[in-house]
Amino acid sequence: MDARALRRWGLRALVLVGILAGIWALLLLARSVENSANFNRRQPWILLFNVCGVLILGVALARKLWRLVRDFRDHVPGSRLTARTVGMFGTLVVVPLLIIYLFSLEFLNYGIDSWFRVEIKQGLNDALVLSRSALDLRLREQARRTEFIARAIAAHSGTDLLVRLDAERRDAQATAITVYAANGRPLMTSSDAGSAALPGIPPAEVLMQIAAGRSYVRLEPLAGGRYSIVTAAPLPRAMGAPQRRYVLIDYAVPTELAGLAEAVQAAYTNYGDMSVTRQPLKANFKLTLTLVLLLTMLGAVYGAIWSAQRLTRPVQDLIAGTRAVGKGDFAMRLPLPSRDEMGFLVHSFNDMTKRLRRTSEEASLSRQAVERERERLAVILSRLSSGVLVIDQQLNLRSANDSAGAILNADLSAGTGRQLAALAEGAALLGSFVAALRARLDQGEREWREQLTLSGETGGRVLLWAGTPLPDEGGLVIVFEDITALLNAQRNAAWGEVARRLAHEIKNPLTPIQLSAEQLRRKLLPGLDTEHARLLERATRTIVQQVDAMKQMVNAFSDYARAPEMQLAPLSLNQLAAEVVELYRVQDPAVSIGLELDPQMPEIEADRSRLRQVLANLLSNGIEALGGVVGATITVRTRWLGTSKPAQAELSVSDNGPGFREDILGKAFEPYVTSKARGTGLGLAIVQRIVDEHGGRITADNLGTGGARVRVLLPAVAEKRTELRRERA
Amino acid sequence: MKNYYKTQRTLLFLGLVFAIGPCLADDELDGELEIRSAYAVPSHGTVLLTAHVVYPQSERISAALKDGVTLSFDLEVTVSRHRRLWFDADAVDLMRKRELSYHVISDRFLLRDPEANTQESFPTLTAALARLGQVEEWPIAVDSQLRSDEEWQVRLRAGVRRGHMPDALRALMFWTDGWHRTSDWYSWTLVR
Repeated sequence: MDARALRRWGLRALVLVGILAGIWALLLLARSVENSANFNRRQPWILLFNVCGVLILGVALARKLWRLVRDFRDHVPGSRLTARTVGMFGTLVVVPLLIIYLFSLEFLNYGIDSWFRVEIKQGLNDALVLSRSALDLRLREQARRTEFIARAIAAHSGTDLLVRLDAERRDAQATAITVYAANGRPLMTSSDAGSAALPGIPPAEVLMQIAAGRSYVRLEPLAGGRYSIVTAAPLPRAMGAPQRRYVLIDYAVPTELAGLAEAVQAAYTNYGDMSVTRQPLKANFKLTLTLVLLLTMLGAVYGAIWSAQRLTRPVQDLIAGTRAVGKGDFAMRLPLPSRDEMGFLVHSFNDMTKRLRRTSEEASLSRQAVERERERLAVILSRLSSGVLVIDQQLNLRSANDSAGAILNADLSAGTGRQLAALAEGAALLGSFVAALRARLDQGEREWREQLTLSGETGGRVLLWAGTPLPDEGGLVIVFEDITALLNAQRNAAWGEVARRLAHEIKNPLTPIQLSAEQLRRKLLPGLDTEHARLLERATRTIVQQVDAMKQMVNAFSDYARAPEMQLAPLSLNQLAAEVVELYRVQDPAVSIGLELDPQMPEIEADRSRLRQVLANLLSNGIEALGGVVGATITVRTRWLGTSKPAQAELSVSDNGPGFREDILGKAFEPYVTSKARGTGLGLAIVQRIVDEHGGRITADNLGTGGARVRVLLPAVAEKRTELRRERA
Repeated sequence: MKNYYKTQRTLLFLGLVFAIGPCLADDELDGELEIRSAYAVPSHGTVLLTAHVVYPQSERISAALKDGVTLSFDLEVTVSRHRRLWFDADAVDLMRKRELSYHVISDRFLLRDPEANTQESFPTLTAALARLGQVEEWPIAVDSQLRSDEEWQVRLRAGVRRGHMPDALRALMFWTDGWHRTSDWYSWTLVR
């Protein structure tokens, strides 16, 4: 049991003790009214318990009320209902209690006052007068008897007097007769107690009466409710008597009369005591009654608060539970208060939250499954070499994978929700793609699969794209794949086969042709006249020259077709570029060859001889293209693209010549495509092949300021190149 | 801190009530209440106390007695030994009780010893109070209770109160009851 529960039970126990003490005090009060002696004995305990009960209940009630007010001010759910219920219960309890209390006070005043009514006082006085009258009669009678006895014994003395005293005592039924001297000294006594001892000196009041020559009589109350009549009378002075004497006689009051007198005396005393304590008694009763009222009222109000809170607690729990459910907490379970209607309601609430929780868990599982599927799909899409675009009916981009951006040479990662046309600004490939897409949609086509050729600043790109409408959403899924490299590879393979066949089929007969022509010239020339000899000489020279030309062409084709094993090794691209450029500067000083090398360029993995061939081909092409150009300039530039993924090295060769013709710009790297009057048209094709073998990319474009530019992108690391090549495949 | 001041104010109020309350009470027992003289002498192995006490006397007291009120007269005596670093050690703590009432049938004042159940009657209140004030040879201790090598202090105090008032009422009316007075302590060193 925790401290809170312990405190709660302790408080309840205190309240119970207080209530029991109040009931006990009420019972004691009721019993005590019947017996004032008991009341005197019990009242301190009654007061003590009542005060303790009031204090305990007062503290407990103050705490309850304070909390109730605080909850009311803080708008705690259920506090208003509790306050109303408490007010209703409290009114129902307090008002009747107050009425009973006021009536009780009235009855109390009336009851206590009735004890001291005038009639009672008058009755007591009458009884007192009656008692006194009866006793006065007897007092006077005994006084006369004493005077008679005094006269009778006045003449006696000595033994004669003693005999006479005994006789008179028996005759008068007195308890004692004593004869005193005038100074109070006892002379002789006769007592029914049979004691021979003489009594002491009589009280001064007796002596004073006797000295005045008067008789004396009084009623003497004795312990035990008995009475005696004490009388005294002077003895007439006899002739020859030595001194004055007097007699003192005790008469017993009859028991019946003494009892009645004592009863009157007791009643009078009690009445006097009570009349003095009348007001305190009333105040005391009022105080007790007030304490009991406070005890009962505080207990009732406390009980009202407790009952109200007990009644409203399930409602508060329901409110709290509803709020929790509103916030999504379906684990909330409310304690069952009872088996009544409220209990049924709470049970229904718990059942509802249980179902909601189960449903929520199922929905959460479904959501998680969907999320997992989505993540899996995202991974698949990101790993696809094909580009995937999802757009809505207004051509807003809803989703795109990385490959889509890479193929279309545009940053689509932050373009979700934007118009494709807006994203295409500054991206020629994407612009061409959007134009083709819009044309499709304008024609009402929602589903297609075909090849698409895009044109961009760095040349064209061939895509295989397919569009499929999204079910129920009106959007489109467009899947496209860059087949430029594939087409190039196919074309290269075809050209390679052609070259190989040319080398094989043409190169072999060329030597016999050349030898035969030379043999003809050698054999026939001496026997011919000058004119025919000149003709033969010219014809055979032509044959030999053309055969040489064809040999060069066949060798070029052979080089193109031959694909020796790559010898990859770390090399400095800057160093290689500097070496090659230096050779060409010496070879053709008319052309200014500039060199801009990136100092951040690291070593890359590449085949040194083949890269040298690439750079040599590009420089040769440039120099040839600059023929006749004044101020011909070629710039070789290297740049490290460390932030790209994968990291790449860029090698570009640009010139200030006429640039690529528009008609061949898109197919500059195809074999046998050339703008030169002479040449095989295989230079750039070989360059592209070498770059492809390195896993790189090559583009050709015209500079805005005039001139052509060829850019070669090479992966820095062999494994990345392998990966790139695999992706391309 | 606020509660602390509230508690302090409440305590101050209660203190004022308790302090001023007795001063507001009507003194019904007007008149002198004093121990005029007292002494104690050893005699035959006991210590006997003799004292003269003057009790208050007035018409109001007489009237109250005649209305049925009983007055109790208490005489309290202690014999103690002084201790330096501790409370005094009480060897004797006695109380002598007497009750004075008016007997309306006989028109006499009764002085009663409730312990011995004996009584005396007097024609006047003066006579009764004079008798009550004369304490003669009241044995208060025996020699064995009081070691002779130590100094003993005797203290005597007289009190008057309404006799038959219920204890509960007396407790309730402690600060308004004028029918309750005590004299100052009358003390002296016991000479042996």
